[in-house]
Amino acid sequence: MIDVSYYPGCSLEGTAKDYRESIETVCERVGIKLHELEDWNCCGATAAHSLSHKAAINLSARNLTIAEKAGMDLVIPCALCFNRMKAAEKVLLGPYRREYAYRFEGSIKIWDLLDFFCQDRVKAEIARRFKRPLKGLKPVCYYGCMANRPPTITDARNWENPTNMDELLSFLGAEVIDWPYKTDCCGASHVVARPDIVFNLVYKLFDMAERVGANCIVVSCQMCQANLDMYQDEISKKFNRDFYFPILYFTELVGMAIGEKQVNRWLTKHFVSAKPLIESVGLNL
Amino acid sequence: MSNQENGTKNGKPVGSVMVMGGGIAGMQASLDLANSGFLVYLVDKNISIGGVMAQLDKTFPTNDCSTCMISPKLIEVASNPNIEIITRAEVERVEGEAGNFVVTVKKYPRFVREDRCTGCGECINVCPVDLPADFNQGLNTRKAIYRHFPQAIPSTFAIDKLGTSPCKAACPAGVHAHGYVALIRQGKYKEALKLVKKDNPLPSICGRVCPHPCENACTRGEVDEPVAIDFLKRFVADLDLYDEEPYLPEVKEKKEDKVAIVGGGPAGLTAAYFLAMEGYPVTIYESMPEAGGWLIYGIPDYRLPKEIVRKEIELIEKLGVEIKTNVCVGKDVTLKSLKDQDYKAIFIATGTTKSRAMGIEGEDLQGVIPGADFLRRVNVGERPDLGETVAVIGGGNVAMDTARSALRTGAKKVMVLYRRALEQMPANPEEIEEAQEEGVEFHYLVAPVKIIGDENGRVKAIRCIRMELGKADESGRRRPIPIEGSEFEIEVDAVLPAIGLSTDLSFLNGITDDLKPKLSRWQTIEIDPITLATNVEGIFAGGDVVTGAATVIDAIAAGKKVAVSIDRYLRGEDMAAGRKAQQPVAQPKIPCVQKAPRARMPRLDPEERVKSFSEVQLGFSEEEAIKEAERCLNCGLCSECYQCVEVCQAEAIDHEMTEETLELNVGSILFSPGFETFDAKLKAEYGYGRYDNVITSLEFERILSASGPTTGHVVRPGDHKEPKKIAWIQCVGSRDASLKRDYCSAVCCMYATKQAIIAKEHAPDIEPTIFFIDIRAMGKGFERYYERAKNQRGVRYVRSLVSRVVEVPETKDLMVQYVDEEGQIQTEEFDMVVLSVGLKPRKETEEYAERIGIEVDSYGFTKSKPFDIVSTTREGVFACGVIQNPKDIPETVAQASAASAEAQRVIAESRGQLVRVLEKPPERPVTGEIPRVGVFICHCGINIAGVVDVEAVTEYAKTLPNVVFAEHLLFSCSTDATEHIKEVIKEQKLNRVVVASCSLRTHEPLFQTCLEEAGLNKYLFEMANIRDQCSWVHSEDKEKATEKAKDLVRMAVARSVFLEPLYEFSFQVAQQALVIGGGVAGMTAALNLADQGFFTYLVEKESELGGQARKNIFFTPDGLDAQSYVNELVEKVQNHDKIKVFTKAQVIDYSGHVGNFTSNVLVDGEKESIQYGIAIIATGAVEYQPKEYLYGENNRVLTQLQFHKALATGDDSIKDLKDVVMIQCVGSRDEERPYCSRVCCTAAVVNSLKLKELNPDVNVTILYRDIRTFGTKELYYKKAREAGIRFIRYEPEQKPEVKASGNGLEISVFDQSIKRNVLLRADRLVLSAAIVPSPTNKDIAQVFKLNEDADGFFMEAHVKLRPIDFANAGFFLCGLGHGPKFLDEAIAHAKGAASRAATLLSKKEMFVGGRVAVVDRKKCAVCCTCVRACPYGVPYIGPHGAAVIEPAICRGCGVCASECPGKAISLQHTTDVQVITKVEGLLEESLEGIVPSQASN
Repeated sequence: MIDVSYYPGCSLEGTAKDYRESIETVCERVGIKLHELEDWNCCGATAAHSLSHKAAINLSARNLTIAEKAGMDLVIPCALCFNRMKAAEKVLLGPYRREYAYRFEGSIKIWDLLDFFCQDRVKAEIARRFKRPLKGLKPVCYYGCMANRPPTITDARNWENPTNMDELLSFLGAEVIDWPYKTDCCGASHVVARPDIVFNLVYKLFDMAERVGANCIVVSCQMCQANLDMYQDEISKKFNRDFYFPILYFTELVGMAIGEKQVNRWLTKHFVSAKPLIESVGLNL
Repeated sequence: MSNQENGTKNGKPVGSVMVMGGGIAGMQASLDLANSGFLVYLVDKNISIGGVMAQLDKTFPTNDCSTCMISPKLIEVASNPNIEIITRAEVERVEGEAGNFVVTVKKYPRFVREDRCTGCGECINVCPVDLPADFNQGLNTRKAIYRHFPQAIPSTFAIDKLGTSPCKAACPAGVHAHGYVALIRQGKYKEALKLVKKDNPLPSICGRVCPHPCENACTRGEVDEPVAIDFLKRFVADLDLYDEEPYLPEVKEKKEDKVAIVGGGPAGLTAAYFLAMEGYPVTIYESMPEAGGWLIYGIPDYRLPKEIVRKEIELIEKLGVEIKTNVCVGKDVTLKSLKDQDYKAIFIATGTTKSRAMGIEGEDLQGVIPGADFLRRVNVGERPDLGETVAVIGGGNVAMDTARSALRTGAKKVMVLYRRALEQMPANPEEIEEAQEEGVEFHYLVAPVKIIGDENGRVKAIRCIRMELGKADESGRRRPIPIEGSEFEIEVDAVLPAIGLSTDLSFLNGITDDLKPKLSRWQTIEIDPITLATNVEGIFAGGDVVTGAATVIDAIAAGKKVAVSIDRYLRGEDMAAGRKAQQPVAQPKIPCVQKAPRARMPRLDPEERVKSFSEVQLGFSEEEAIKEAERCLNCGLCSECYQCVEVCQAEAIDHEMTEETLELNVGSILFSPGFETFDAKLKAEYGYGRYDNVITSLEFERILSASGPTTGHVVRPGDHKEPKKIAWIQCVGSRDASLKRDYCSAVCCMYATKQAIIAKEHAPDIEPTIFFIDIRAMGKGFERYYERAKNQRGVRYVRSLVSRVVEVPETKDLMVQYVDEEGQIQTEEFDMVVLSVGLKPRKETEEYAERIGIEVDSYGFTKSKPFDIVSTTREGVFACGVIQNPKDIPETVAQASAASAEAQRVIAESRGQLVRVLEKPPERPVTGEIPRVGVFICHCGINIAGVVDVEAVTEYAKTLPNVVFAEHLLFSCSTDATEHIKEVIKEQKLNRVVVASCSLRTHEPLFQTCLEEAGLNKYLFEMANIRDQCSWVHSEDKEKATEKAKDLVRMAVARSVFLEPLYEFSFQVAQQALVIGGGVAGMTAALNLADQGFFTYLVEKESELGGQARKNIFFTPDGLDAQSYVNELVEKVQNHDKIKVFTKAQVIDYSGHVGNFTSNVLVDGEKESIQYGIAIIATGAVEYQPKEYLYGENNRVLTQLQFHKALATGDDSIKDLKDVVMIQCVGSRDEERPYCSRVCCTAAVVNSLKLKELNPDVNVTILYRDIRTFGTKELYYKKAREAGIRFIRYEPEQKPEVKASGNGLEISVFDQSIKRNVLLRADRLVLSAAIVPSPTNKDIAQVFKLNEDADGFFMEAHVKLRPIDFANAGFFLCGLGHGPKFLDEAIAHAKGAASRAATLLSKKEMFVGGRVAVVDRKKCAVCCTCVRACPYGVPYIGPHGAAVIEPAICRGCGVCASECPGKAISLQHTTDVQVITKVEGLLEESLEGIVPSQASN
C-alpha cells in the first residue's frame, strides 16, 4: 500500500468529476491510498496570480502547510493546481519566504499525478494486477503545458519532450505514437472568450494526431481534455474535416489494462464516445 | 624508468615533456618540443591521435581538405624519434613539481600488439561484430577490431572490449557464446562450430539439454527476451554433425603417458576429448554397454535422441580415445589395477546413478519405481506398465522427464506433486511448459507422506499433505512447511519418485587407503576446486561424483578443467598457476533498440508428441537462426570469436592483453585534451535524436567527407534522399544560459558557413539557410569568407533564433519555426536541419584536471594566470587548445606552440638531455662499384600476396639486369624484416635496394633508415608501390595485377641503377635571434627565447619599448592592470643579460639563409652588424583614425582607445556624462577594410561596463552590426545587457548619422530590430575604430622579402597549420602585425613564435642539401627563368654570373629544373637520367640496352 496526500482541486469537484472517479478508483485498485487534504482551499488558479502575486502564493501555501503537517507526499491531478503549488513551494523555500505567513520546510514532495504513476513502484503494482495489454490503441500523449513548464517551477527534466506518459502507456501495452505537439497549448480558458483561438490551436493538434496515425489522444489534464473533447464536432465542421479522437485520461487506460469494469461508466461522460474505438480493437469489458 | 636516474642528476630538470591529448594542439606542441631537443610522451585516450580535426572535411576560410593537411602532420609525429605516442591511456596522477614530475599513466589494453601489427586490415574482413562507427559519429558501423581511418597514427588496429560478455562469463565451461552467435549472424557456421568446440565437445547434446545459464545472463533479456543462444549452438552443431566431414580438431604430437577415465558420461568424454587433442592415449572405462552415462540412460529420446549422443561420442573416438564398455571399475578392474597398467593419471567421473529414497512408508510397494530407474528402463527400450494414473514426485528435470516419459509409455493421467510453488521449481521453464502442453497435471505445495498399497502389495493411493512457504533456507528458496491437518489422498496406480540422485561409490570397495580419495559427508569425492585433484597423487575427480547431480555443462566444465590439470601434471608443471584470474565481465549499458521477440523453436504438436518418443524440438532453420543471432546486442563489444587471431599472419592479436601502469618522469606537462560537442538532445525543441533528418554539425562534417559514411554524398540519414533545402541552426548549446552554456563557442558561425558552401559544391542545387543571432567572423580572413558566402555562394542568412523544429510525418521533412526580421512568425519547411553544436570540455576532463591538480572554471575551461592564457594554476603545467577557451584551428596551433615555449622555458637547461639520436654506422663508399641491386617483394600479409603472385614477381625480378638478389617477405616493414634486409645488404654487398610494397609517402623513411643502418647511403633506395597500384585497384584481375607489379618492379630497378649517393652538409647555426618590434609581442618573444638561453637582439624603432600597449591599454577585459604588466615586462627585457635592445633603431638589410643571417641595424645613424639564426617580426598595428562621424571636428567624438584612457585615468568629466553612444565597426568590415577588427565589440562592452561602474546613472547605447564577443567574452556582453546597456543594430547601408547640436550630439539611427528610426542624444560619441597594420610593415616586408596579405598584415605560411611561420624559412611572425588580437592573445602568439624559433635555434648545426636543385654554372645563361619560376624566391644571380640556389632554403620542388631552358639546373635524386630510365623501363619488356648490364656506375 502506498499512502499519499491528495489535492483534488476544484474542477475535479465539478466539470471533471469523471477524472476524479477514475483517479480514485484506479488508485484504490493499484494499492495507492489517497488521503484527501483536510480543509483544502483553492490553489489560486489564474484569477489570483493575475491580481496579486502574494495572494496567489498564500492560497497555495496554505495547502502546502496542511500537506506537510499530514507528513505524506502530495499528489495533484490538475496541472494548474500542481503548477501553482510548485510555484508556492519555490517561493516558500526561497529567499523571500519571510514575506509570507505560511511556513513550508520542503519535507514532502509535490507530485504531478502522472509523474506519480510513472514510478517503478507504482508500475510494479499495476503489473501485479495487469489483465490485458491495450493492443490496438494508438494514442498520442498530450501532456499540455502546466505540468512540465516552466522547468524552474515544475522541476521537470524533459520539459520540451516529456516521455513519462509515453512510457507508462507503452508499459500498458498501448501502441504509443510519438508526435511533436506533446506540450503545445490547447488554448486553455481562452475557450470562453476567444473560442476561435482555441479552435485553431486544437485543430492543429487533431491534424497532426491524424497525420501520425493516432486513433486516440490521452491526457493528464482536465482542461486539455475539455478543450479537445467538447468541441471536436465544431472544429471538424469549421475545418471541413471528420475528426474522431476519443480524448482519454491516462487513468482510464490504467483502468482498462487492469480490467476495471467502471471504465465503461467513466467513458460515457466524454463528449466523443470511445465506444466505437474500443470495440473495434476488442478492448471492451 | 631509466630517465629517472639521468633526469634530475645535478639538480637539473628533466628534459622531457608529457603532452596530454593528441589533437592538433597536442601534435603541434609535441613536434615543437621534440624538434627543440626534448623527449615527448604524447598520451591520448583514443586509439589514434588527430583529435576532432581528423574528423573534419574541409576547413575555413580556405576550404582546404582537413585530412590532407593533418595526414602529413600525423606522419611527422609518428616518425619523430623523440615523440613516444601512448594511446588508449589516461593520466592517473601527477606527483612532484615543475621540472621534475612523476606522472602515472594507465594504459588500457589495445589487444593488438603495436610492434607487430602492420595495419594490413585482414582482421576487419573477418570480424563478425558491427558497432557504431564513433569516428563517423555513429552514422554507420565499424568492426569491433578497427582503426578510425586509413591514415590513422598509430596505424595499428585495436579491439574494443568492455570485458568478457556476460553470456560467456556465465557459462561454466566458458563457451564463447557471444562469439559463435556473432559468427552465426554472418553465416559462418563452421567457424562458429569450431569456436564452440574449443570449449565444448558435445554441442549438439548441450544445444538440447543445457539449462543455458548464458541466456539468463543475456543483456537482451533486459530489453525483451534473451537471445536463444543454446538453440543457435544446436543449429551449428547439428549442421556439422550431419556434414559429410564433421569438424575434428587437430591432434598434437602423440605422447607416451596413458590416462584412464572412469565413467563415460559427459565429464569423462570431455576430459578424454581435450586430453586426446593434447596427444595423450586415453581409455574410458564404462560399466554400461554404451558410453554416454545419463545422456544415454537418463534423458529420454524425445528430448535428446540417442543418435545425436552416439554421433558426438563417435567424433571423440575418432581422436583416438578408446572406450571400454561393460567394464565395471571396482569389479572387472580396480583403481589399483589401472595404476598397475601404467596409467599415469586417472580421472574419476562416475556421476550420480542412484535414486534418492523419499523415506516414507510404502516406498517398497509394487508400482513405486524411482524415476531414474524408470528412465533407464525406458531408454533401453522397455515400456513398464504403470497403469492409468501416475504420480511423479519432485520438481526437477528428472521429474519432468519421468512424467513425460510416463505419458509416452501409456499412462492416461500423470501428475507432478511438488512441495514448493511453481516459481521455485528447478526444472527448465521450457520443460515445464512442454509438460503442461502435453497434459501433465501439476500440484504445487504438496508433499507425500505415505504410499498406500492394496491387498496385493500394489500401489493404490498416495497420501499427501499441503505445504506453505516459510523463510528462505540455505538454498535461498523458501522452505516448505506442512500445514497441519491438511492431509488428503489421491488414488494412483504408480508412484515415480524423482527427488534426487546420489553417487554410487561401490567402485571404491576394497581399495587400499593409499588409493582411496577422501570423501565428503554427502558421499561425494573431495577435490581441489582449481585443479580437480583428489588427495591421491595422480587421481582426479569431477562432474556429478564431486558436485552431486548437476547439469551437463557443469560436467563438461569439469572435464575441460581436469584435462588442463592432467596435462600439466604429466608435464610436471604447476597445476594451479594462473588459473584463478578471470577477465572482468562486461557491464554493458542497455542500448535503445527496437523490441523483437525471441525466435520460437518449432515443436512437435503436443498430441503427436505423447504418442512416441520422437524429438519434440525441431531445430531452427537457417533463416530463423540468422534472424535470432541478429538480436544479439554485442554488449561486450568484441565477441572473442578469435577469427582475427586466425587470419593475422603477423601474430599481432593478443586477447589476453591487460592494463598497464606506466610511471613517467617529465619536466613539464601540457594539457590539451580537446573538447566534445554539445549534446544536442538537451535542446529537445530541435528534435535531435527524435527526428531522423535533424543532425549535428559534426555528423554533417562526416557526411561531407569523402572518407565518411556516404563517401561525401550529401544525403539525409533517415532515407538517403538528397536534400535540397538545408537549415543550419546556430548557437545550439552556446550563448544559452538556460543550459548553463552561456559562452560563445567561437567557431560555429564559420564552420556552418563552410559547410553551407561545401554542401553546395557537392550538390549545386542545395539551398542552404543559416539561422543565426550574430555572425561572428572575427578571425583572419573570416569576414571576407562570410561576405563571399552571402553574396557569391548563395548562402542565405536569417537573423533569428529558431524556436522549434517539427517533423512532417509524411515526408520526414522539417518545419522550422522562427520569428523573421519583420517580427512575423514563420514556419518554413526544410529537407534537413543541421544543428551547429557548441564546443565544451569533455565530462571526464574535469576529473583529469583534478588529478593533475589544476583548476577549471564552471564550464570546465582551464583557469590561467593573468596575461598568460597558456598557464594553469599549477606551475609547470600548461594548457592549450579548446580546453583553455573555445577556438579555431589556427589559434589552437599558435597556442600549442606558445604552451610548448613555456614548457621549454621550465626545462631549457636540460635541452638535449634525453633525446634519442640514431647511431649510424660509417657509410660504405659505393662509387665505382658495379650496381648490385637487391629486390624485396612484400606480401603485406595477403594484402598484396592475395592478388599479386609475389613469387612470380620475385622470380621475374631475379632475371632483371644488375639484380643480384630478390626475395619476398611477409611484411617487409616489420622489425624482423628490416633487420633481415640489413643482413642481406651486408651479405650480398648490395649497393642498391628496391622494395616493392606500398606507398613511399609512408614507408620511404623507414627503409631509408634501414639502409643507413646497414651502412648504405639512404638515397640508394627505390620503391615500387605494388599494393595501392596493383593489388588494391586490380583485385579483380590477379594476372594483370601481377604483370603490372612486374612492370613497376622493372621500372624501379631501372631507375635504381642510376641512383647516386647524396650528401647533406652541415653548417653551424647562429644560435641567436632577432626580434623586430619592441611592443608586448616582441618583448614577450625575446624574453622567452632569452629565458630559454638564446641570445636575442630586440630592435625597436621608437625610443622606448612597450608599443601600443604602453600608450593605449590600461586595463584588460577581466580588469587587470595592463600598464604595470607592460612596465614589468620592459624592465625584465632591459635587464636580461641575453637580450640586447636597440631603440630608435631599424634593420636595413639582410643576407644569408635560415640558421645564419646577417643584418645591419641602423641606430642613431650608426650601422651595427648582427648575426642571427632566425628572425621574429612583431611590428604590431595601430588604431584607425576615423574620417567619419565628426571625428576630429567635434571634441565630444572619441575613439574607443581614447575613451578607454579617459576611463582609466579617472577623467572627472566621466562622472558627469548622461548619455554615451558608441558606434561599432568604424573603419572595419567595409569595402576599404573588409575584415573584422576582433577586439572592438569586447572593448565597447567592457568600457561601457566600466563607465557604468564609475557612473551608474549614465545611459549607454551601443550601435552595432553583429556583437562579436566570442568565447567566454560573451559573458561581458551578457553582463552589459543585464546592466541596462542598450544595443541597437544598424545595417551598413543605413549607417548612423551624427550631428552636433547645442552642447551635445544627435545621433540618428535606423534600428533594425524595431524597424524604426531612433534619435539619440549624446554627451560623448565613442567610435570603435578599426585596427590597421603598422605603417612600418611595408618597409620590413621589403627588407626581408616577406609577404603581406590584402589588408597589409603579414601573411603566414599557411592560414591553418602554420599561423606563426612565414613562408620564408627562418622567419616568424607574431602579435598584431599578423592581424587584430587581444593583448593576451598577442602574448600567446609571441610565445608561439619563440617556440617555433627554438626548433631551429636549438640545433648547433643544420644539414642542407640532398634532394635539392643544383646549378651547373657552365650551362647557366643567366636568363632568370628560375628566379621568376621559383615559388619560394630562392634562386638569385650570384657573383659568378650564374644562378645560385641556396641548398639551405631550396624546397626541392623541381620547378626550376623543369623550367630551365638551358638544362643548367637539375634536381638531385630526380635527375633526368633517373626519370628517363624509369620511363623507358616501363615501355621496354626487357631492360637490355637501357640499363648498362653490369656496367660500372
